[in-house]
Amino acid sequence: MKPELPAPAGLMRHQTGTGAIVYRFVVSLLILLAGCCAVPAQPVQAKHAKVELLSHQPPAHPGKGLLLGVHFVLEPGWHIYWINPGDSGQPPVFKWQLPAGFSAGEILWPRPNRMQSSPQMADYGYHDDVLLMVPVHASQAQSSNAPMEVGLEAKWLICREVCIADHAQLHLSLPLPAAPVAKENPASAELFARTEKLLPKPLPHGWKANAESKKDSFVLHIFTHAGERLGQAEFFPLDPGQVDNAARQDLQLSAQGVKITLKKSDFLTKPIAVLRGVLVLPGGDAYRIEAPVTKSIQ
Amino acid sequence: MKKLRRSIFQMVVLLALIASALAVKVGEPAPGFDSVDSNGKPQKLSAYRGKYVVLEWHNQGCPYTKKHYESGNMQRLQKEWTGKGVVWLTVISSSPGAQGFVTPTQENEYLKQMKASPTAVLMDPGGSLGRLYDAKTTPHMFIIDPNGTLVYNGAIDDHPTSDQSDIAGSKNYVSAALQEALAGKPITDPATRPYGCSVKYGKF
Repeated sequence: MKPELPAPAGLMRHQTGTGAIVYRFVVSLLILLAGCCAVPAQPVQAKHAKVELLSHQPPAHPGKGLLLGVHFVLEPGWHIYWINPGDSGQPPVFKWQLPAGFSAGEILWPRPNRMQSSPQMADYGYHDDVLLMVPVHASQAQSSNAPMEVGLEAKWLICREVCIADHAQLHLSLPLPAAPVAKENPASAELFARTEKLLPKPLPHGWKANAESKKDSFVLHIFTHAGERLGQAEFFPLDPGQVDNAARQDLQLSAQGVKITLKKSDFLTKPIAVLRGVLVLPGGDAYRIEAPVTKSIQ
Repeated sequence: MKKLRRSIFQMVVLLALIASALAVKVGEPAPGFDSVDSNGKPQKLSAYRGKYVVLEWHNQGCPYTKKHYESGNMQRLQKEWTGKGVVWLTVISSSPGAQGFVTPTQENEYLKQMKASPTAVLMDPGGSLGRLYDAKTTPHMFIIDPNGTLVYNGAIDDHPTSDQSDIAGSKNYVSAALQEALAGKPITDPATRPYGCSVKYGKF
């Protein structure tokens, strides 16, 4: 079966007369271009960062989605932010331009790093380099024999001691899956594979999380299956303004797992039903936490 | 006797340290301060008893501060609320050498150039006022009521971005809180998460 891809919407209109000739010429040119040098587009040199739009692999089957990624390579000392930036900063925002029938999902955020600039301030984000992956869904079976054109308007804040709001227009032309060069570039394949390992996973089978709301703190309990030790685990709150980012997390091991006391944020004025976040273990494993919150009986 | 006095002194120091480590809370007395403004004039919080006081943490180089100054939004707020008898104190806690640090002369030139009209600009290069209020970002806004109680702590509005085009569709928390407070109503959002650049404190 020959896999097919959709044509950019704009090109579909000219299929008669001279239009058709121009159309065929443009399509052949695009196919030729795609065939010769497609997958990695040129990285854009932004302020203190190189930014590049990458594709995990061309979709193997029509109608199937694909995985794209925006790769930020940051100059030493500079950082960008997680979905919850912490005490300052702002997460990147992506606005996609996709062919009809495709829609972009949410960013798959790799586990963040804590960046504590003072006893009062802590931010969450990434330094050195990070790939922000975004799944793209195909809402219907696509049929076309033109390369798929993807555009992205990316906006982000990059900070060291100072912050700069920056943006870039990125572009990627995905070759036809049938094209002989439609293999993934090994460096980008490695990058996607490495990044997938950094994505928070659901809690292992048999583990459970819940949280108690006390006057000034949340006590997060993680019950492990066989009393696995979770020393040095660190919690990253997903929703801003619930947990005091800079406060020390008090961790106590127990026979059932671990208990982490998290100081409440001064900006939290209403009770919350669920404490969401990411638990990062010393080895680097990260788990998604959705802990139902109960009011402490005291 | 001497020993007792010493241990009392140590306890007082310890309590003061504990108190300074606790962040200011809405509904509690706002910590008093004794600062100096960009005209070299002393500025005490206690001098403004009986009035609403707004504190605005500022850094002229920060993209989030620029959002509200280059659009004229902050100047509009300053003009509107000082016109209604509210005291507006802009605070600069950038340490010398850090982004946003300015001399009093530079700050006064900036105010003129931006047509900004706060009641005064407090120069806090040592960061003690910033740390006293646990100011995190620029901007970070506080409102103190005529009794000296902190009634608002948080963001300037509900759009945590550096885009000027977001201002029109934003709910301005400071205006909303002042409107409610002046009308004798409870404040709907007394604490929100501030957004912006981190305050550029120096190292301890």
